[in-house]
Amino acid sequence: MSAVDSVASAVREGRTTAAVGAKEVASRLEKAAALNASLNWSAEQLAAEAARVDGASPSDRARMPLAGVPIAVKDNIVTTEQPTTCGSRILEGYVSPFNATVINRLRAAGAMIACKANLDEFAMGSSTEHSAFGRVKHPDDPSRVPGGSSGGSAALVAAGVVPAALGSETGGSVRQPASFCGIVGIKPSYGRVSRYGLVAFGSSLDAVSTFGRTMDDAARVLAAMSGHDPLDATTIAQPPLVLDPPRRDLKGLTIGLPAEYFPRDLHQGVRTGLDRTIKTVKELGATIKEVSLPHTRYAVPTYYIIAPAEAAANLARYDGVRYGQRRVGPAGDLRALYQATRGQGFGAEVRRRILIGTYVLSSGYYDAYYRKAQQVRALLAEDFRRAFDAGCDMLLTPTTPTPAFKAGEKTEDPVAMYLADIFVCPANLAGLPAVSFPVGRSEGLPLGAQLIAPNFAEAKMLSAAAALEAAIDAAAEVR
Amino acid sequence: MTWETVIGLEVHVQLLTRSKMFCGCANKFGAPPNTLVCPVCLGLPGALPVPNEQAIRLATQAARALGCTVHTRSIFARKNYFYPDLPKGYQISQFDQPLATGGTIECESPERGRIGIGVTRLHLEEDAGKSLHDRIPGKTAIDLNRAGTPLVEIVSEPDLRSPAEARAYLTILKQILVYAEVSDCNMEEGSLRVDANISIRRPGDPKLGTKAEVKNMNSFANVERALIVERDRQVALLESGGRVEQVTMLFNAAAGTVKPMRSKEESHDYRYFPDPDLPPLVLTQKWIEEQHAALPELPEPKRERFMTRYAITAYDAGVLASERPVADYFEAVVGAGAEAKAAANWVMGEAMSGYNETGRFSVSAERLSKLIGLVKEGVVSLQAAKRVYPELVDGNEDPGAVAERLGLIQVGDADALGAWVEEVLAANPSEVERFRGGEAKLMGFFVGQVMKKSGGKADPKAVQPLLIGKLKK
Amino acid sequence: MSIGREDVLHVAKLAELAVSEEELPKLTEQLGRIVDYVAQLNEVPAGEQAPPYLAGPEKLTLRPDVVAPVPLARPPADFAPEFSQGLFVVPRLGAMEDQ
Repeated sequence: MSAVDSVASAVREGRTTAAVGAKEVASRLEKAAALNASLNWSAEQLAAEAARVDGASPSDRARMPLAGVPIAVKDNIVTTEQPTTCGSRILEGYVSPFNATVINRLRAAGAMIACKANLDEFAMGSSTEHSAFGRVKHPDDPSRVPGGSSGGSAALVAAGVVPAALGSETGGSVRQPASFCGIVGIKPSYGRVSRYGLVAFGSSLDAVSTFGRTMDDAARVLAAMSGHDPLDATTIAQPPLVLDPPRRDLKGLTIGLPAEYFPRDLHQGVRTGLDRTIKTVKELGATIKEVSLPHTRYAVPTYYIIAPAEAAANLARYDGVRYGQRRVGPAGDLRALYQATRGQGFGAEVRRRILIGTYVLSSGYYDAYYRKAQQVRALLAEDFRRAFDAGCDMLLTPTTPTPAFKAGEKTEDPVAMYLADIFVCPANLAGLPAVSFPVGRSEGLPLGAQLIAPNFAEAKMLSAAAALEAAIDAAAEVR
Repeated sequence: MTWETVIGLEVHVQLLTRSKMFCGCANKFGAPPNTLVCPVCLGLPGALPVPNEQAIRLATQAARALGCTVHTRSIFARKNYFYPDLPKGYQISQFDQPLATGGTIECESPERGRIGIGVTRLHLEEDAGKSLHDRIPGKTAIDLNRAGTPLVEIVSEPDLRSPAEARAYLTILKQILVYAEVSDCNMEEGSLRVDANISIRRPGDPKLGTKAEVKNMNSFANVERALIVERDRQVALLESGGRVEQVTMLFNAAAGTVKPMRSKEESHDYRYFPDPDLPPLVLTQKWIEEQHAALPELPEPKRERFMTRYAITAYDAGVLASERPVADYFEAVVGAGAEAKAAANWVMGEAMSGYNETGRFSVSAERLSKLIGLVKEGVVSLQAAKRVYPELVDGNEDPGAVAERLGLIQVGDADALGAWVEEVLAANPSEVERFRGGEAKLMGFFVGQVMKKSGGKADPKAVQPLLIGKLKK
Repeated sequence: MSIGREDVLHVAKLAELAVSEEELPKLTEQLGRIVDYVAQLNEVPAGEQAPPYLAGPEKLTLRPDVVAPVPLARPPADFAPEFSQGLFVVPRLGAMEDQ
């Protein structure tokens, strides 16, 4: 049963009010404070969000697909009421003077913005340990990470604080934490959802994405905010996503298994979870097809050239001149302002990526790194196209190479951290829609599987994923 | 020993759009600071650029007016550098795939006659804001109203050979852009800005010398002055055995000097890369041709047409074609029936001095044409017509009526003229004597005296036969 | 291919990021490892002519030339670190003054 739909229909039909829901969310947020998943929220703001829904005319409310649904929003999506910090000291206290397109659309659909959610600073990380406001804890095991960079949003959904949340993906930052936390994470096609008001990290990769307790929860939120936006030149001129009804079986579908996503040394629990999922796929009537995506091994290095390069330019605007925190070094001049503001305002991982991004774009290195990475990226996209042309409707892979790891395990080794995204970042590089959903547990920790579909085939992908969701007992330990 | 000067110019021109290049803020000059700003041009977190169609159109028209090839595919790129009036820490510009390349501007060189100057490229970009250093003591203040104003940068080949040629090139470039209504090219308001690259070499040397960049010139005259100073500096350096360093020189108009920028010129590393927020700019050839077709007739073709169609001199045609309002007014006067040569003289004379003062023509083309007609028909003399003209300014009285009111209608009938002629001859007996003695050139004197007596009303063509008749007696 | 401390100082200057002497060795080591890691792309055969990837729509959609700015819910004075007489204020430009 979808929590989003049950709340929304109850509010639409007047069986409850948004105000009642808002109070419940506030008390759940308080109880979940130990997770350090939420950043800025207040009971007053929640009440105001509810009043907007409850104050709407009954006929307007009857047309709100998300009436009274509380949604947590990753704190790199701008809102005019709460601060938008991006988990960074450099933006501490900054309140945006405009709302993101997705926020406007969700509110128009009746949603309540429940809180801002903690994240890796500027969405750079895979564990939500790189937040200036402290790490987020895994709801099932506080010694572990919830994944990242949208770890706050994932933890809030997994802990039952909100039925759905917004995250953002650049290289898997929703699917990877969804997998770690045992919930659903959907990354739409590049250009499906407006980026206006999503604080840019890697502009050619970034996608506002959704979390839900169930496929239906995450899909309904995605559909409500999708569609062309005249304020974002990279959105595709297509009507909003219309969801297909969930499938009961997978008859007539061909599901590809890319060999590169099932390496010999794959974590045993993850392998077992995927084996069980593949078995279910067959039982539901789909045809399985083994395929190869030969450039997969280059996805992470490609990603770690393109994303930092774009980030280095995107983060140049945090210069202490027009907004945000300003610090001035001893020399007292403008350069001292820039260097101190940026040197002290950004955390270690952000600084590393800015430096790498600056390096790969700098004179004499552009062709060897950035241009080469964009060429390899085209080859990666071509790999996917071939697999789909060969008859695959979608591909099934593990979402992550391991279940949630321990906090502190990878913070000193950036490359090891980067490899946590090895199965998720290819879809970002190729712009494809993908969804991660829970398929069981290994030693108590959630496991996720991923479907990757052709561009703009979200409806088909999500209805197939719903069939698998219904057929698999995600709470069960896999053996 | 002689030196050859080699100059190339980079000209930035603001486009005449209603809104900015990448956002819906108004593109206008002179508003209170930081009032024409939005998330995009403030560089706020989360804002994204969306290009202005009219800016693309105007840039395309400018490019075609300069004879450039407009490419069906071009790419916006980020040019990365830190400066407080650059809100995003990068400027959206075009780099290795610009909108247009390969044009020519023809102009008149004082030294070489008619020359064609290559236009290397024309690309689109956004303007930065303004840094004000004199507003707050010890501080720099930033106004971002200008940030995001659409610009084209027009880069010339190093084809110019003297500071005077640089000025001639700029004059023609401005004429064309103003004609095409792409920009107002107002240097005082900064809507046209010039940077120059200059080097010297021995004539015949195929290699270019080390160049200096000259900036901070606020008029075409100052571009010429600055380049003369910089050229002379380089000549003096080389002739005393020194060498030119690659530097940026700032022109000081008050002192008439150039000096190197205070800061050490670090080699800039702008780290250009395609802007991921902006897909490729794809134009169809058909659209490009439509924009070209929508261009008005440009100064050079107009000049040639004026020469052949109106049989006026190259000089007159050049003056009349130099500005579109002047050319349009001239053609309107001719169109209203005036004879072309006379119309040219009137437009370049009386009408132009008024236009230069007020920026408009204050006598309607129909009424000027009528006045010219009165002269041609002998109703008023040219001299009288010039007294009528000021009365026509900003009014709508008929020129004939004005002439009548002022008593300037030419008198041609023998009776009236006869009396004036008699009076003049009676008053100048010795001149009459000398004329009769063979000093024929005194005829002019007598005509002048009659005209004077008549207060300009006498028709000189009728006066002369009368005089001849009386003097022969 | 690995990068040294001079490279780190150079890019830190380009990026206007203060890097302290103490953190430099570790940072150089970490960045070196990342650069070495991403340099494995060199082994992918992709000639000069291989087309780079293009994200999003194949061509730009343009905006009509209409004055319609996204309104600001609060003015710059509310979010600027220093603002006076309608202007953003920064220290005198110093070494960058002439640019």
